[in-house]
Order: sequence, then structure tokens, then C-alpha cells
Amino acid sequence: MNTTSSQGSVKKTYRRQFGWIEKTIAGIAAAIEQAVFTEEHSRQPGLLQALDPRAKLAMFLVVVLAASLSNSLVALPCLYLVLLLLARLSKVPFDFFIRRVWIGIPFFAGIVILPSVFVTSGPRLFDIALGALHFGPSSASLLSGTIFIARVGVSVSLAVLLILTTPWSDILKSLRAFHVPQIFVLLLSMTYRYIFLFLHSANGMFEARKSRTVGRSSGQEQRGWVSGSMSHLMNRSFKMSNDVYAAMAARGFQGEVRSYNAYRMTAQDWLALVLACLLAVLIFCIGRYVL
Amino acid sequence: MHIPDGYLSPVFSLGTGVATIPVWGVAVNKVKKVLNQRTVPLLAIFAAFSFTIMMFNIPVPGGTTAHAIGGTLIAVVLGPWAAVIGISTALIIQALFFGDGGVLAIFANCLNMGIILPFIGYFVYRLIASRAPLRSTRRVWAAGIGAYLGITASALAVGIELGLQPLLFQAGGHPLYSPYPLQVAIPTMLLSHALGASLVEALVTALGVVYIQKNHPQYLTTLRGTVAEADASAGSRQAMPLWQMLALGLSCGLAILLAAGLITGHGDFTHLFGTDWSHVAWSDVGIMLVIVLGLALGLIPLAWFLLPKSIRKVGTIFVALAVFVPIGLIAPGFAYAEGSPEDVKQAFGYMPQGLKQLSGVWSAPFSGYNLQSSFFNGPNVPMWRQGLGYELSGLLGILLIGVLFWGVATLLTHQHKDENMQQEERAHV
Repeated sequence: MNTTSSQGSVKKTYRRQFGWIEKTIAGIAAAIEQAVFTEEHSRQPGLLQALDPRAKLAMFLVVVLAASLSNSLVALPCLYLVLLLLARLSKVPFDFFIRRVWIGIPFFAGIVILPSVFVTSGPRLFDIALGALHFGPSSASLLSGTIFIARVGVSVSLAVLLILTTPWSDILKSLRAFHVPQIFVLLLSMTYRYIFLFLHSANGMFEARKSRTVGRSSGQEQRGWVSGSMSHLMNRSFKMSNDVYAAMAARGFQGEVRSYNAYRMTAQDWLALVLACLLAVLIFCIGRYVL
Repeated sequence: MHIPDGYLSPVFSLGTGVATIPVWGVAVNKVKKVLNQRTVPLLAIFAAFSFTIMMFNIPVPGGTTAHAIGGTLIAVVLGPWAAVIGISTALIIQALFFGDGGVLAIFANCLNMGIILPFIGYFVYRLIASRAPLRSTRRVWAAGIGAYLGITASALAVGIELGLQPLLFQAGGHPLYSPYPLQVAIPTMLLSHALGASLVEALVTALGVVYIQKNHPQYLTTLRGTVAEADASAGSRQAMPLWQMLALGLSCGLAILLAAGLITGHGDFTHLFGTDWSHVAWSDVGIMLVIVLGLALGLIPLAWFLLPKSIRKVGTIFVALAVFVPIGLIAPGFAYAEGSPEDVKQAFGYMPQGLKQLSGVWSAPFSGYNLQSSFFNGPNVPMWRQGLGYELSGLLGILLIGVLFWGVATLLTHQHKDENMQQEERAHV
């Protein structure tokens, strides 16, 4: 008995000493893993990967707008079926697509929506009495809760599908087609590169801290270390930005950005875009006139 | 705090762009003026920095962890305009690439975390710090308070945005998007942040400023000076002791209450702090104060010595609170947010329906926060007996809650241990 309790306390101390470090390291690893995975998938031969990124971004915006405006329990599942089909044709692993979408955000949305389903004023389907309080879903609140979760799920699926089938650099270039100023596009692409450098340094800092920690340290000390490393990273950011600027200036950067655009919209891209618009109109009409 | 797609109406999400896009435009111009061609590399690197520190886990008391945004820290160093672009860029990458926060909701998320947060944080910091020397403690407090208010304001904005949805968008009486009205969404967002995330952010920002003061004080000057690596007149380290800070805060609070009371009482001095003091029997109050003081002298040291070390500080504070609570009985009228529905009705002229329903759930054993005995609670008992009953019921309540928590905690750890043992056995097999 004594040994188990001491084991428990050792475990607790371990978690208090290293839990936040391990969580951060795991988070960084997950972000890098996700980026690698995405790049891998966006370069596979598939239906959506073959499309022009500008067409894809426009399709995404049109459909996500239609899904957000939709309010029908027929249209949203139909749209989701179409998405599943597209995911299959684009060689996105099925279980990954479903798991990544449904375990995260819609689950959270479900928890958020739950009280509003059960606390309702209309006629209830069943009644749970807790003292003077009565809980129970009405058919209307159940319906609107389900629609809410379905809409969030479909929107997230759409975003995941776009991300998984388009390389990051292509998403950025297609932003130009939507008249996002060039300076923002350059900013985004540089940021994206430096993120991995920073994640790498942060990972190194946390691993160094973990491997050097012997014995206990107080929460105050740990928090001091975290904010110290933030400020240290900030100092490095300043130094790095000066170096990067010097390197850019040496290569002739004068504040203007030029980029060449090798993309051409083919007939296939236009067809896909028109189909997406039709899909969006269809979803809108189902919601408005059928159900 | 990232709002996903589907929570806000698309019309509303895109509509927040009307506020967000001009601010971005102004920000780019302002930053360009200072930095010229350095703008892009500096902002890109700081956006990456902002993205990275959003991933840092911060240990919080109780063994869990929390995240910070670091928006105020960036705003303190880079100024609000550069912070707007840096944080917004990080948020856009999170949405477009990591699926964190909705794509249509980008404008709303950038408004909350990328604009409101750094601006509130920065201006509160400037207001409090004003021209204090770079290494003064005042700057640390200013950054902490700025960060706290920045996140809280940002949470308030999220609450308002979510709470507006059922008002603006509904069909046939049913909300189409986030279903909670303003009076639910705002308190939920505000309370959960004001008591949690904001405190963490404030602490991390304050500690970050301490580190910067110690190692790189030049970053606390202007952005232009920072980039050009100008010499900063660091000044000497000025510390203001904690008790002075607390005393200042307390007297400020009292002054505000006094002023508010005078205004609502139309300048009448018998109505200080908003209540009618002419009904108070001061001799009763004196007796009660003597008893409370005696109890405090006995109970607080007792609690300090009896409680186990791990909960000594917290436990003693709670006991002290319980002992001094009856002082609240002096004030005529009801303690705020403690009153029965009838008190509420008297004060506000109406009774919320939900409160009436709720109050029936508990017919508490210590109804009215007093023991059910004629000694404490009779019609004409002197104040000190009421106070004593109040006190005893408070202590009993704390004890009950403590026992309850302890019981649940032991149950949980026992289960955990059993699982561990089973796993070990399996491993042995």
C-alpha cells in the first residue's frame, strides 16, 4: 500500500515538473507533423489536387458561404456526402478526414449547444425534473441543435479538404487573385517559413529544460522560465529580423515585391468552379424552398 | 477564443471585415513610415514569434496548464500597430493552415484577438506607465494590468459577437447560429476569462517585462529606437513595495465607492456607500465587533497550526474570511448577489423568472445563512447573536465543502491507483 501511494505521489510530482513541458513539446511536434502530412497529401495525384488553386479557393468560399447560410437538415448531410466523395477521389485518407473533423471542433460545438437543447420553453419530448427545475429537449430545440452541429462540421470539413489538397504556397498565390495586397502575401509566406524555425528553437529550449531539470521547482519559477524564454525568443526575433533585412537588402530588395504567375485556368478549372457554384445554389434552394 | 465557422452568421462574420480591413490598412501605413523596408522581415518574424508563443503551455496552480496569447507583450515592445499585423498574420495562418478558428470567421477573430487585445493592452500600459523609468516596477504592473484588461476586453467582444447572433438571425423564433443571448454569452465569456486566462496572461506578460527590463531594456523605448538599436537611458531600478500597491488599490476602490455612493445618495452623508446608515444601532455593532475580533484572535492561529501544510495558506484565508463575514451584517440592505428573490425584487423592482425557479431547488439547511435556532435567529435577537450564527454557518459550510472535495478527490485517486495496479499486473503477465 505504501509503495503504491508513493508511486502515485512520484507520478504527480513528475506531472507537475514536466507536464507543461511535455504538452508544449507534443503540441510543437503535432504542428510540424501536420504540416508535413499536409504537404505530402497536397502533392498526391487526385481530383482536387489537379485543380487550379484560385479555382479551388473560389469554390471553397462559395460552398462554405452556402453551407453557413443553409439551415436545412437535408441539404447539410447531402453536402457532407459530396465532400466525402470528393475526399475519396482526392485520396485523402478516410478515417483521418472523419476523425480530424469530428473529434475536434464539432464535438466541442456539441457541448456548447447542449444546454440550449435541454433548457427550452416549448413542449418537451421528455422531462427531467431536478427540484423545481425542469429539463428536456423540445423537437424544435433538438432540430436547431443538430443543424448547428452539422453546419459547424461541414464548414470544418470544407476547410480541411481545402488545406489537405492545396500546397501552402499555392493558397498564398491564389490570394493574389482576390486582390489581397502583395505585401500581405509576402508577409504570410515569410511568416510561414519562420514559424518552423521558431518551432524548432522552441522545441530545443523545452527539451533542454526538461533534460536539465533535477529535483523540484516551484510553479513561480516555472512560469518565470516560460516568460523568460518568450522574451528571449523575442530578442532573437529582433536580431534575426535585422539579419534577414540585411540579407534581403544585399540581394536588391527595395520594398517592392514581384512574383511571376505561371498559373492558367483551364477548361477543367472553369467547369469545377461552375459545378461548385451550382452546388452552392442547389444547397441554398433546398434550404429555402424544399425543406 | 478562436471562433470556428458556423457559430456566427456569414453576413456577420464578413461584416466584421468592415472594421478589420481599414485597421489593417492604417497599420501597414503607420508601420511602413517607421520601418521603411524593414517592415516585411520584422513583421513576418514577429508573426512567427506570436504563433510560436501561442503554443507555449504555462503551468498553473493545480497541476494543469494554460495558453497565453502574448499580444500585450508584443504590443508593449513593437507598439500597437505593428502588433495588430503580427498577431493577425499568425491568426490567419492558424485558420488557413492549421484549421484553428474558422475561415469565414477570420475577420471576427482578428478583430477580437488581433486588434482589440493589443490596443486595449497597449493603451492601458501607456496610461499606467506614462513616463516611469524603463526599469521601474510600475512598468511591470502596467504591463500586467494591460494584459489582463486586454484579454478581458477581447473575451467581452467574443461574448457580444456570439450574443448578438440570436438577436439578429432567427427564423420562426429559433436561433440559426450561436443560440445564447447576450445576457448568457457575455457573463460566460467574461467570467471564464477574467478569473482564468486573463490572470495567466497578466502574470506571463508581467514576468516577460521583468525579463526584458533586466536583459534588454532598450526594447521598452520606441519601435524606431529599438530597431535602430539606439542607446536607452535605462534609469535605475525603482521598486514600489507590494503593500504600497495594495494600499493604493484599496484606497482607490474606497474612493470610487464613496463617490458613487454620494452620487446615488444625492450628496447626503447619512447615505455613504449607497446605503442608509441612520438605521444602524452602533452599540450592537460594537459588541459584535469585539466578539468577532476575539474569535479571530482564537480561530485564525488555530487554523494555521491545525491545517496540514499543503492547504495551510488557503485554509487560513478561508477561515479568516468566514470569521470576518458578519461585519457585512452592519450594512443595512442586502449583501450584493446574496439576497433572496424578494430582496432582488425590492431592489430592482422585478424578479427574473429563472432565479425564482432556481431558488426552490435548495431549501438549504442553513436557510438565510443562519442556523435554524431561536438563539441565533429569533425575531428580536441582538446583532451579535445573529453574527455568531452567521459565522458558525459559514465555518460549517466551509467544512462541508472541504469534506466533500476531499471525499471526491480520495475516491478519484483510489480509482486511478486501481487502474495503475491493474495495468502493472497486466504488464507482469
